[in-house]
Amino acid sequence: MVNNMREVVVAGIGLTKWGVHPDKECYDLGSEAILSALDDAEMEWKDIQAAFCGSVYQGTGSGHQAIKEVALTGIPIVNVENACSSGGSAFRLAYQMVATGLHDVVLAIGMEKMPKGPIPSTAFRPWELASGFNVQMANYANETVEYMEETGATVEDFALVTVKNRKNGAENPNARFQKPVTVEDVLNSRMAASPLRLFHCCPLADGAGAMILCSTNNVKSPKRAVTVASTVLISGLYGEGSLGGGVSTSLKHTPKRGITQLSAKQAFEEAGYGPGDIQVLQAYDTMAPAELWDIEKLGFCKTGDAPKLIREGHFNIGGKLPVNTDGGLMSRGHPLGATGVGQLCELVTQLRGEAGTRQVKGAKIGMAHAMGAGPNSSVTILKK
Amino acid sequence: MGNDAKKQVRLRDDFWTPDVKGEKPKLLGSKCEACGEYFFPKKEKNWCVYCQTKALTDVTLGREGKLVSYSVVMQQPGGGFYKGPVPYAYGQVDLPEGIRIVTLFEVDNFDDLKVGKDVELVISKLCDNEDNNEVLTFKFRPIN
Repeated sequence: MVNNMREVVVAGIGLTKWGVHPDKECYDLGSEAILSALDDAEMEWKDIQAAFCGSVYQGTGSGHQAIKEVALTGIPIVNVENACSSGGSAFRLAYQMVATGLHDVVLAIGMEKMPKGPIPSTAFRPWELASGFNVQMANYANETVEYMEETGATVEDFALVTVKNRKNGAENPNARFQKPVTVEDVLNSRMAASPLRLFHCCPLADGAGAMILCSTNNVKSPKRAVTVASTVLISGLYGEGSLGGGVSTSLKHTPKRGITQLSAKQAFEEAGYGPGDIQVLQAYDTMAPAELWDIEKLGFCKTGDAPKLIREGHFNIGGKLPVNTDGGLMSRGHPLGATGVGQLCELVTQLRGEAGTRQVKGAKIGMAHAMGAGPNSSVTILKK
Repeated sequence: MGNDAKKQVRLRDDFWTPDVKGEKPKLLGSKCEACGEYFFPKKEKNWCVYCQTKALTDVTLGREGKLVSYSVVMQQPGGGFYKGPVPYAYGQVDLPEGIRIVTLFEVDNFDDLKVGKDVELVISKLCDNEDNNEVLTFKFRPIN
């Protein structure tokens, strides 16, 4: 906790099923998650004093549309677009309102219904779009090639990430994919952007998550409340390599720590914890290899050690550091603006001990990390 | 129409040097005279994003670099903005000025792409546009 801020807890969470919802609009998904979070927190809408709603492609006032399906009471509603860190960014704003004492009970939402047809991503310049540089699988594939050169990791190692996460997803009734896969399934899936195959990449999904944050004296069910130990957002550092965004990468001014390393360092410092304290981790597995370098960059092991550790089962439920216990993006799917909230809802479920067959025994402290185009890196540590 | 060659247009006018017979094209960039940082493409504003001063000048960049990473894209990118052939390859090249740029690769065979290979600048066709003109862009190809 930062100096004299108030303690903030998560009092309630609500999730929709992740998947393709052709019969539902984004506001249907968002309002479903809000109602479920109110139930979970044992609160009424009149308790909510402000709302922050993360989404990416939902257009003007999307949070208002979702909340309109629940109630309209004049509270401030702010829409947050921060690419795939939108949900995490909305959560952080809700946290700040309660921590500073401006509000006592605040709602954070993440929601997405993937639009059909061309999406002119503003994360790429027009000439980059015309050059075909807006293929996220290929941009990750380039990073993967660099990672393989640096560490000797193999496509088989990356397949193990998919296998682990799909196994976890099979235990999560909300996941888009609930069927386990084998290493052979991954390596026999079609090439998407070399060296990444289709099953190395997460699927998209529609869905929504909502979380109610409040001060300790506003909690209705203290036993189930989970405390926010820290929540950090770092948006872009000069010289850190990225494909797209119109800026060439400086080789002379590479930052000592990239945005992931820096956001984790700040989150640990603010929480007063280190990597050894984290018992469950929701890492950013938009592509299978990214989970491995994410674990390394967050400070859980040295560069190049994660492939060895995944081979040893270190990141399984029951292993030393269970990662992506709900199946991660790989099974849950990636509803862009909702992903950060989805990860945090899984942490809350784990820390409450309510995760059923995928429960990490005795988990009391957890971390979630979501990257986003921009770039953004959002890290949150929760504790019971 | 007959056998007239198609009109050629550039994807962006200021990506590389004007055509001069007998001269090889070079990429155009910006250099900060205060801190020495280079940028590609050329910055439109006279403003160095690294040291935050107004000291940029136009420069040409080295024609050869090193291949850092590549990926062969097997499907049409989303959005319909890219009108070139599929599959196609793009990735990163380090230039001697100390910058890493993203570029398309020109190869007869994708197996010719290898990390660490020396590559050189070529100006090559990206696609035909709606006016049936040939759109040219910069690419890099391995030096054998």
